[in-house]
Amino acid sequence: MSGLVLENVVAGYRGRPVLHGVSLSVPARGSLTVVGPNGSGKSTLMKTVVGLVQPQKGRVLLEGEDVTRLDAPGRARRGLGHVPQEANVFRSLSVSENLKVAFEFIPARSGATFASRLEAVLALFPEIRPKLKVAAGHLSGGQRQMVAMAAALMPEPSVLALDEPSAGLSPKNAELLFAAIARIASTGVTLLMIEQNTRLGLAVAARGLVLVAGQVKAEAPATDLLSDGLMQSLYLGGH
Amino acid sequence: MISYVAATLVLVAIATIAGLALNLQWGLGGLVNFGLFGFYMLGAYVCALLDTKGVPPLAAMAAAIVVTAAVSAAVSLISVRLSEDYLAIVTLGFAECVRLFISYEEWLTRGTLGVPGIVRPFAGSVPPEWSDAVFLAFAYAWLALVFLLLRKITRAPFGRLVRATRDDATVAEALGKNVLAVRAKVFAIGGALLGVAGSLHAFHYSYIDPTQFSTTLNAYAFMAVIIGGRGSHLGVLIAGFTVILLLEGSRFLADVIPFLDGAQLAALRLFLVGAGLVAILIFKPDGLVREYRLRSGAS
Amino acid sequence: MGQLIFNGLVTGLLIALPALSLALVFSVLRFANYAIGSMLTVGAYLVYAFNAGLGWPLPLAALAGGAVGAGLALAIDRLVYEPLKGRGGVTLLVASIGVGIALENAVRFIAGSSTRGFAVEVARPLRLHGLRINQEQITTIATVLLALAVVWIVFRFTRLGRAMRAVADNADLAAVRGIPRRQVVCAVWVISSVLATLAGVLVGLDGNVDPQMGWNYILPVFTAAILGGIGNPMAAVAGAVVLGITEELATLVLAPHYRTMVAFAVMALLLLVRPTGLFAAQGTAK
Ligand SMILES: Nc1ncnc2c1ncn2[C@@H]1O[C@H](COP(=O)(O)OP(=O)(O)O)[C@@H](O)[C@H]1O
Ligand SMILES: [Mg+2]
Repeated sequence: MSGLVLENVVAGYRGRPVLHGVSLSVPARGSLTVVGPNGSGKSTLMKTVVGLVQPQKGRVLLEGEDVTRLDAPGRARRGLGHVPQEANVFRSLSVSENLKVAFEFIPARSGATFASRLEAVLALFPEIRPKLKVAAGHLSGGQRQMVAMAAALMPEPSVLALDEPSAGLSPKNAELLFAAIARIASTGVTLLMIEQNTRLGLAVAARGLVLVAGQVKAEAPATDLLSDGLMQSLYLGGH
Repeated sequence: MISYVAATLVLVAIATIAGLALNLQWGLGGLVNFGLFGFYMLGAYVCALLDTKGVPPLAAMAAAIVVTAAVSAAVSLISVRLSEDYLAIVTLGFAECVRLFISYEEWLTRGTLGVPGIVRPFAGSVPPEWSDAVFLAFAYAWLALVFLLLRKITRAPFGRLVRATRDDATVAEALGKNVLAVRAKVFAIGGALLGVAGSLHAFHYSYIDPTQFSTTLNAYAFMAVIIGGRGSHLGVLIAGFTVILLLEGSRFLADVIPFLDGAQLAALRLFLVGAGLVAILIFKPDGLVREYRLRSGAS
Repeated sequence: MGQLIFNGLVTGLLIALPALSLALVFSVLRFANYAIGSMLTVGAYLVYAFNAGLGWPLPLAALAGGAVGAGLALAIDRLVYEPLKGRGGVTLLVASIGVGIALENAVRFIAGSSTRGFAVEVARPLRLHGLRINQEQITTIATVLLALAVVWIVFRFTRLGRAMRAVADNADLAAVRGIPRRQVVCAVWVISSVLATLAGVLVGLDGNVDPQMGWNYILPVFTAAILGGIGNPMAAVAGAVVLGITEELATLVLAPHYRTMVAFAVMALLLLVRPTGLFAAQGTAK
């Protein structure tokens, strides 16, 4: 069964399409990293997946079920977790309130309690444990990113959609974060990720997709994309 | 009956001028003036007080226009740096202060006693039986002048600049335009027009007191702008005529629905104004007439 | 002097309820609700209808009036603000002006323009350490503090409160976290209208019930909310108290009918000097 499918999605803002017929498929428990130049519509793709942007055409399927007409809260309740590219924590809420509010509006799938989920995400991100009472707006960029990840993981999502998790992080923090993402991916979550840092991003995913100007330019196993010199020089800025 | 129609037509002209002023400030400039009636009242009182002190009516009116323009610019400076929400409350606050000041500073304004004996322009050279007709023509001459002036402003480069600051102040700022100055100018011009409307009010009634000035004027003006289509002077002109004529004319309803007393009828009318305002926002957001755009302007 | 400060405190607490109501709506729905004055008026008249009309005791009448007022607020949201959702703060603001005009004139149409008073017993003022404290002031203080405490607890410690703060902070993120915006908006209108109704009752106890009563409070209420940093509900309360005391102290040098001018002067000064509000917390403010 497939975890997440997009079929010929046309979507954009105020009637002007940014995505021109994008199709993709992530198998259940699989992972896909989307790369592409700035402004190519990667975040728009992500917003369409999570329900913040309604597609003008096409369908979105979550674990085989058509969720195209479902709004963002509805998709979240069906097990879709999301970390947006920016503004991904509630800055005026404390870290523990961020985690709590991320948990309490989504029915727990395994019947886990808040306390047990809290322990589980704190085990993944031990750095935020001493910050639980601090307002999220007061954290450093790296800590905020971890809080955002932790919050998305609180209700045990079956599909996790990450928009540039390494943006704004130091190389060291980015490495740490990707180590955590690799661990999360290994727990059986379906992972859709957008990443500027192609090396890190493609390293944790099974497959890669290149999006340029709102269209899919290539879709292949991640390792092939990484070694494909032409791809690199054309779209990825080279490494 | 004839005089009633003439009086209604004068009121329509006055309210339409106020609507056009709001259309410049809000429709074109994006600056919500919720204190319209305060500037209008200020204009009326400046004009009336000077007029009754023996200043020639036209000179009194000119003074009123200058004062309201200057005061408008000053008030706008308090908050034009901020979002519209603030400007709306600042203008409203200013208007309430004007009303309080005029109501209580009796040495200057005679307070609630009001100012009687306001002399109309050309009163000396026109036979009394022609006074209303001449004044009607005077009011419509002003309306025409205001309309043409606004059309000219809108089509001039300044008009495009105003729309640019409305649509995206940061971009305009980045292009090196002084947004603050543009907005203060827009407010000043709008204020001048309210000075015209206020002066016409004073001349029309020849007696003014604080109770004549209320948020009803606000409601009429917003209605005219929203129905007419924000930014379209022609639309506001048409809407001003139909809406205000309808509303003013609805005073006749008193004869048709005898079981409602005058106060109830007034309340019903204003209720319909409020509900109508909302309904137009929801169902006809672009109004009757599309905003005028320069061909080279943004879509 | 002490008396003035005390009176100012009570005035400020009175303004605090609608100011909180305004800031709450602003923080979640992102528009300045100019109908707040009319909501206060309508609330007062609803309670008056139960109190003087049906002869219910005031607390019970206030409860009933609050419930009807909340229903009305929900209906208005459904009919007006929800269809205009996403059309920008200015459009919603102008819509609220229309709503305000319609509500106030509905009151005039039904109840007429004459002033009325609640059916309550007149009690003698208390004297305490040289302060003259009358019964309405005690009622005001108790009611406002209780209402504020309830709102604060809901805000800080409940699921609903967290949801409201989350939507206010970042509506898109709240949506992807599964928080249903519609329910939060409804809760905001219920709280907002109940606060407005309570304020209407207290204003009516302090003076009269008339169609103009809410309108007279618009300026102080907005000033208080701006003092607190509009969109920051609890700080609006602090803003209201500061404004109340300032207004009262200003009566030493200005005629009492110029209170509104004091509010305007305070607001103008603040907007020029510190537009983010006096109490906007650094760092967590957006
Ligand atoms: N909220 C928005 N409203 C209008 N246009 C937008 C919005 N967000 C993004 N865009 C436009 O959509 C295009 C794609 O943006 P985005 O999806 O953010 O690209 P990426 O994430 O690949 O950098 C850009 O041209 C951008 O200007
Ligand atoms: Mg992006």
